Amino acid sequence: MARPCAVIGTGQTDYRKKLDLTLDGLVRWAAIEALEDAGMTFADVDAIVIGKAPDALEGVVMPELSLADALGAVGKPIHRVHTAGSVGAATAITGTTMVESGRYDRVLVVCYEKQSEGNATWALSGGKSGGQGAGGTFAPWIRSYIERSGAPEDIGWKVAVKDRRNALRNPHAHLRIQDISIEKVRDSPMLWDPLHFLESCPSSDGAAAVVLASEDVARKSPGKPAWVIAHAKRTEFGQFPGRDAVRPQAGVDCSTVLYQEAGITDPRGQIDCAEIYVPFSWYEPMWLEGLLLAPINEGWHMTDNGDTEITGSFPVNASGGVLSSNPIGASGLIRCLEAANQVRERGGDYQVDGARVALGHAYGGAAQYFAMWIVSSDLQPAYR
Amino acid sequence: MTDHSRDVAIVAVSQTPAYGAFAGPEPVLIMRCVNDLLSRTGLERHDIDFTLAGSCDYLSGAPFAFVMNIDGVGAWPPVYESHVEMDGAWALFEAWIRLQLGDIDVALVIGSGRSSPGNNREIFALQGDPYLSAPLGLDPASMAGVQARTLLDANIATEADFAAVVERSWKAAADNPNALVRRSDTADQLLNQPHYAAPLRAHDVAPVADGAAALLIVAGDRARELCERPVWIQGIEHRIESHHPGYRDLTDSPSTRTAAAKAGADGTFDVAELMVTHSHEEIIMRRALGLTDDTVVNPSGGPLGGHPVMATGLVRVIEVASRIADGSAQRGLAHASSGACLQQNLICVLQGDD
Amino acid sequence: MLPDVDLLLEYPYTRTTGPVLGQFLTGLRDGHLLGIRNGDEVLCPPLEYDPETAKGLDPVLVEVATEGTVTSWTWVADPTSTHPFDHPFAFALVLLDGTAHPMAHAVDAGSIDEMSTGMRVAIQFHEERTGSITDFHFVPLGRVHVRDSGDGADGAEPVTTIVQLISLNYHEPLHAHRARFAQGLLDGRFIGQRSPASGKVYVPGRGYDPLERVEMGEDDELTVADRGTVTSFTVITPIDYYCQKETKPYIRASILLDGSDSPLISVDIRNLEESDIRVGLRLQAVWRPAGERDLTGIDNRSVPLEGVIERWDPTGEPDADANKLREFTQ
Repeated sequence: MARPCAVIGTGQTDYRKKLDLTLDGLVRWAAIEALEDAGMTFADVDAIVIGKAPDALEGVVMPELSLADALGAVGKPIHRVHTAGSVGAATAITGTTMVESGRYDRVLVVCYEKQSEGNATWALSGGKSGGQGAGGTFAPWIRSYIERSGAPEDIGWKVAVKDRRNALRNPHAHLRIQDISIEKVRDSPMLWDPLHFLESCPSSDGAAAVVLASEDVARKSPGKPAWVIAHAKRTEFGQFPGRDAVRPQAGVDCSTVLYQEAGITDPRGQIDCAEIYVPFSWYEPMWLEGLLLAPINEGWHMTDNGDTEITGSFPVNASGGVLSSNPIGASGLIRCLEAANQVRERGGDYQVDGARVALGHAYGGAAQYFAMWIVSSDLQPAYR
Repeated sequence: MTDHSRDVAIVAVSQTPAYGAFAGPEPVLIMRCVNDLLSRTGLERHDIDFTLAGSCDYLSGAPFAFVMNIDGVGAWPPVYESHVEMDGAWALFEAWIRLQLGDIDVALVIGSGRSSPGNNREIFALQGDPYLSAPLGLDPASMAGVQARTLLDANIATEADFAAVVERSWKAAADNPNALVRRSDTADQLLNQPHYAAPLRAHDVAPVADGAAALLIVAGDRARELCERPVWIQGIEHRIESHHPGYRDLTDSPSTRTAAAKAGADGTFDVAELMVTHSHEEIIMRRALGLTDDTVVNPSGGPLGGHPVMATGLVRVIEVASRIADGSAQRGLAHASSGACLQQNLICVLQGDD
Repeated sequence: MLPDVDLLLEYPYTRTTGPVLGQFLTGLRDGHLLGIRNGDEVLCPPLEYDPETAKGLDPVLVEVATEGTVTSWTWVADPTSTHPFDHPFAFALVLLDGTAHPMAHAVDAGSIDEMSTGMRVAIQFHEERTGSITDFHFVPLGRVHVRDSGDGADGAEPVTTIVQLISLNYHEPLHAHRARFAQGLLDGRFIGQRSPASGKVYVPGRGYDPLERVEMGEDDELTVADRGTVTSFTVITPIDYYCQKETKPYIRASILLDGSDSPLISVDIRNLEESDIRVGLRLQAVWRPAGERDLTGIDNRSVPLEGVIERWDPTGEPDADANKLREFTQ
């Protein structure tokens, strides 16, 4: 009964430290660009979904209310999703189900964060002193991964360099470190052993938007649609006796059901490229394993071999990824959007050659919320 | 837009009392509802395909507060779930949309909040435009006062009408074991009280409470297997209006009318539960929905009898569904609202089997 | 009885104002009221877009009259700390002369009897202005005093940022199970809750077992050891942020107390060096003297132990097998 749904427009602000815009102006930048890409105006939109991380990051309670006018939502449904760091991808999935349900033909999905208004570590700390920050939470799990897998210490540095080099090709990217190098990453301050400063994501302002459409609308749209082939979400507790925080079962379950729904039997061979939520360098190999793209404890070989470079056999985060731009609430949507742009051949200077099937992934909380989608240039992709 | 293709019914509902202050964590409120729903239906946790919860981090004063709420649901083994920073009624909307896809049949919907630790008036002033409104501390109760006066000035209602809404709501709340308010003042007595946000008095503002509500929705024939009298969701839709009160006709609720039309809210209703968090809103809603005296409005007492913020809208659905499930009503309408002056409105039309 | 918990959630948000509101707020600071043209209409305060179509508006602002008419109002009898006045006042919709839609703002009328729909009001600029919507309020027409010419700040840098201090107080008692845990700390012992469903012991208990979805109470409580094993740790390099008091790196560890199935997380360890700590290390809590134990910071969410535990000393026992602690890497 689910109808096909496609991405027919995408829009992104530049990602910067302190964009001189109101929140209205921020979301409108991305939304208007996405609508123009789709050949539409606000008037054509049936429903709007917005997503962002906690309201306390900007100190605006239920911002769908104060942004309704800015997003042309007056007289329409506007819906708000909040699932911590995975929220961008979760919001894309909510928008997709709204189209798939048959209820709406054109859904505008907008996600944003203006990190410069508040402070994410303050929010993660519940407004109290002594917060350990996201890095402090993830560092022990990363160390545990390194111990289990026997990965050499330079894997994290390699990810950090690759994503920052990719970012130099992406005009929207926040961090633009022209002389990025292994040495520079290695010599940057140690924040949370083993994570160096340059192995961590920045705090960015930014918004991203996609226009999702039914098959009829998508076929008539001016650009090439990216068909949403499958989507999945899974959640587990962040802390309980028996949990494997390095390889959370929710992520494994989510990938399994995602590939099943997509008809993918060999994800490494049948997916052409991926945008994976990697806020700290080591999460590239960890999620390559968690996404069943590499055997347990062997994900780091893909990084080490250069497989995840734009020109590699399985490009990961050709856009520069979360390591280069992190407007938290938007970051998951950006992964989904960049995956869509790859199969729409809209990757610009970071286009992956021949990308037809792409994965967008996000996670959040204590690596406990997972949201993913598979997009393709073909409504019924014939996998290799 | 096309209409929905899949019949979905509410098969079980649960709510905690509206507590003035619940002396325990929010996940316990949720857990009680979830366990109640499972025992009523005989379902196991793994029979639930999808869970969607609505809550507000700011109520408890902790960013990411919603993360802990999953403790009340159960998330091991991992579950398919999501969260809206909205009243649970919007969680119902998204869950209903999700079941339309056809691949899953059973969804759990939750709304919860603990308002008692915080200052509701100050927290929800932060819903206002962050540049032009929030710095003034312009709060929903004051905005409600402004809206109520437009009804007086337009000769649509009087302060006595506001008091009559409260009197009737409290009378109804007396029979509702989950209500917070236990008072039986007459309208005349109420009119002798001082103003709070003139022309509104303190009793015109719904008393905030701690509480949770949850329900199970199930698609098609499975709904009939799980309960004797499923309550079918005939339609559910929501609409928003301008955030800026000066750009709206505050005496009316056009978003309600549009949402109601899209939800198929035509004809008559035996019962309507309206999210009246300020007494004058009942008058606006009755007019916008064209409700006649044939419809019993807020037989639970409505939010004026107790307002478990973030669950209140979902409780409206539950109160209507309960009356259809027990056969005392055949068709009903539930309303949920968000934002100052009824900025955003959701309408859900419910019906029992003939 | 343990004292209630008070939480202050406070942050000074810095908001960039963009091209349109920046001009508007700069105008306010300089004593001018500005609006934006939308076709034949003037909108004040200005919006960046047409409120009906969401089409962007040309960011050119025009001067607006500072007098207008009240179209509706309420009387705030009991102002909150975030309201612009500490005495009763009105919030009103005011249609400024020549504008298309009323704006919401405060009227300082002195008495509710002075207020009426249709009354004429005028803007009273404040002497101290920063470029904020709070730089002025309305008063009944004829009551404007010391009409500021606005010369004071003209020519200063345009307003591009506003600061909004959001300060919210939360107050509640400790939940019963948390109060018993805290009392245990005062008494020098760790109280856990054993799940009646699974037998697993949670320290501190949450009042329920999330895995089995059962509530837990006093009958399920037991004392566990005050020694245990490091299952995970991280060295925190404090990031500076509002209300952050930490400046120097320190260790945060998860410690699985003997007899518990859930580690204490985020335990501050200040007496050990990074080189001293490892997964598997056995530690003994050293309690502060009974009269000096302090529950500051312990609330219904977190249980900082620094006020009751002076330090964690290595016991000298052989390390526990790190491979068996993987499930406690939390």
